[in-house]
Amino acid sequence: MTEIFTAIEQSPFSIFMREDFYAYFIALIFHSIGMALLIGGGILVSLRVMGLAPGARLERFAGFFPVMWAGLALAVLSGIALLAAYPAKALTNPVFGLKFASLIAAAVLMRWMVQRYFPLAAAGQALPPRAKWLAAITLSLWLGGVVFGKLLLHTSTMLMVS
Amino acid sequence: MMDPIFNPDAIETWAKSVGIFQLMNTQWGWPTAEIIHFFGLCLLIATVGMFDLRMMGVARGVSMKALHKLVPFGIAGYAMCVITGFMFVVSAPGQYIYNPAIQTKLTLMAIAGVNVVVFYLTTSRAVSSLGEYDLPPIPARLIGFVSLACWLGVITAGRLVTFFRPPEFWCLWCVPG
Repeated sequence: MTEIFTAIEQSPFSIFMREDFYAYFIALIFHSIGMALLIGGGILVSLRVMGLAPGARLERFAGFFPVMWAGLALAVLSGIALLAAYPAKALTNPVFGLKFASLIAAAVLMRWMVQRYFPLAAAGQALPPRAKWLAAITLSLWLGGVVFGKLLLHTSTMLMVS
Repeated sequence: MMDPIFNPDAIETWAKSVGIFQLMNTQWGWPTAEIIHFFGLCLLIATVGMFDLRMMGVARGVSMKALHKLVPFGIAGYAMCVITGFMFVVSAPGQYIYNPAIQTKLTLMAIAGVNVVVFYLTTSRAVSSLGEYDLPPIPARLIGFVSLACWLGVITAGRLVTFFRPPEFWCLWCVPG
């Protein structure tokens, strides 16, 4: 693996991300905004499925999805750029895997809820009791993604370049 | 340059005298405060930020009156951020007080605060009486945009704090001496 990390770190893009005065800085700004839009929307939908703000029609929350998709695109593209700068630092840290596992699980669960519960809400039917539990788990996973992302700073042990 | 307002050493001494400094410098003190800070930011963006988007005209069909009932969660998130943010600053005042990212963050928070007051003094009644599919009036859309821009700016500035640690020194209020 070390050879792969070294190859990435010696690539022109990786060097640019580390050495350009603005590159890493701007990628961090985009990553923060992208994650905020993605996870903000995810948490809002989870809170609504949990039963909060019952006066707001659940299926209409799909109107927030384009903003979440834009947030996802921003977070992924900037995340790849940040990862390219210091691949060994992130990919040797198990917490990085936990961050991804949390976010992917949250997205999969949310998609499942959207496919099953939004049509029920549109038809005026009540959601099954387990919907609240699923939403609570999804909410925890979104928050988990944020927490693990933050803990990367405190848990990384391998830095091959500076 | 001399700071006539803040004395970082005195602030840190106070933090030590009340135990905040010691708490923050335990093995998990700082990371735990960061986690609480980020939970707060998540709540804030998920409720206030998404309400701002709705005010801007996104997700028409979602009742703004109903969505507004989630704002107390945003206020709780804000409180979590203020308390933990205070703990960060008093535990390492030299790292924060003269940091341009923190100064930008606090400025954006102040603008967001004024923006909230303007919202409740001007368009909040009109907004809460709108139907599910109505587009808010232009002043409300503008207020929503300013609010969301400020909160996204607050998150971003917070993320950039580590780029501007000492010897970076911003102090517009300092005097020669």
